[in-house]
Amino acid sequence: MEAVVKSYHGRPALRGITTHIERSEFVFLTGPSGAGKSTFLRLLYRAELPDAGRIVVDGFDLAEMPRRQIPDFRRRLGVIFQDFKLLRRRTVGENISFVLSLLDLPEREQQRRAYLALKQMGLQNRLGALPDELSGGEQQRVAIARALVLQPDLILADEPSGNLDTERGHELMELLKSINYQGTTVLVATHDRGLIEAHPARTLVLDRGALVRDAWGLTP
Amino acid sequence: MNRHGWREVQRQVRESGAPGGVAILMVAVATAWGGLLLTVHRWVEHDLLGRRQNSSVVAVLRAPDQADSLASALAARPGTLRWTLARPATVRQELAEWFPELATVLLALDEPSFPALLKIEADPAAAGELVAWLAARREVAVVQSSAQWQARVEQALGRVVAVGFVLASVLLAGCFLVVLLVVRLLVLDHADEIAIMRLIGARERDIRLPYVTLGLVLGCTGGLLGVLALAILEMSLRSVLPAIAPEAWVLAAMPLVGAAAGAGGAALGLVAIPREP
Repeated sequence: MEAVVKSYHGRPALRGITTHIERSEFVFLTGPSGAGKSTFLRLLYRAELPDAGRIVVDGFDLAEMPRRQIPDFRRRLGVIFQDFKLLRRRTVGENISFVLSLLDLPEREQQRRAYLALKQMGLQNRLGALPDELSGGEQQRVAIARALVLQPDLILADEPSGNLDTERGHELMELLKSINYQGTTVLVATHDRGLIEAHPARTLVLDRGALVRDAWGLTP
Repeated sequence: MNRHGWREVQRQVRESGAPGGVAILMVAVATAWGGLLLTVHRWVEHDLLGRRQNSSVVAVLRAPDQADSLASALAARPGTLRWTLARPATVRQELAEWFPELATVLLALDEPSFPALLKIEADPAAAGELVAWLAARREVAVVQSSAQWQARVEQALGRVVAVGFVLASVLLAGCFLVVLLVVRLLVLDHADEIAIMRLIGARERDIRLPYVTLGLVLGCTGGLLGVLALAILEMSLRSVLPAIAPEAWVLAAMPLVGAAAGAGGAALGLVAIPREP
């Protein structure tokens, strides 16, 4: 990310952010509400384009990337959204197998991988349930399963533990760390200081759209 | 399209509700009406008017004794296939058979009161020239050809068919619009879901294909119902008008026309899908 600027209706959300995240790194992104964490992530999965600056993710220059390449790019990412973004009209199983179907995997393989991903999250018995029939925590776990099932190069997580109890939140961090050990880059946006302190890693701190700190953990 | 696409189509068919039913009904009426028009047109042209058959020309002679000279001149003409001479007595007998209530009067009249007729079967391409040739002959008082009234009936039928097709086209355009609106409403209703699908890497075709398929299914279903309606109509008329039967290509075209109208409407309805930034 190089000198990235983003504003909404003249109100700056990010002010000249420059940072570099290495492949296989585990990074926290933190800061108070409204600091620009979600905007930072939205720019990384190209839900938005910056007003100025350059963003390169996994070799893709996002501002220059033609529209037809966007789906291929996004299939390399696993995004865990703060508001889950589950497909409300589809069952839990379909939510997972849908992303697998985008890779044109055989039907059986889709079902097998969807089952394993849900089993990892303890939701193998809720395959046929609709998202609205699940609790917030269960929906969060379905969203996590969906993000992980494609074994992406980069995982972007926006407040992934927001709807989980403390124990589940730490379990999720352990899971993300184990995935990171296998070579996947992980970027977790969170305002939960306890989570960062319990799982110390490189931490980017945003404040009012500016990158104010880039260091290991939260200790000065 | 994969399993997810087909399930999405099923959901959309359910969600299209009453407007989807209206679209199906409109296609059914439009295609059945179009199919009926084509069938009746073919029946009138081929069977009723005998357009593919030879033309009949009838010449009324001024005097019966001129029949032989005219017949020998006729034999030398190309395009004349067959001819028969009806002498006054035969004409009187035929008229009496056609109008039995006048038979007593007709048979009481003298033979010279009736003209001799020359009934000619001619190649349809040569019928016009033959009529002109006969009209110019001094032996002939009046000449009439089946081609003349056939042309008038065909002209009238052509107008009826043209108006009928305009009506069918209006109905199909209505179906196109209804499908367009159905798809547009569904797209607006599914806007969040479409945005999520994009965020998790769905291609445009993964998103759009189920909607186009929905239009195709609605149109095709309407077309098949139209085929069913036409088949029922044909069966109910079979005892009265056995010659009226829709041709296979008409029946095959009806669902295809419906599907094209539905898919076209759906494709245009997809313009409502917001684009990526």
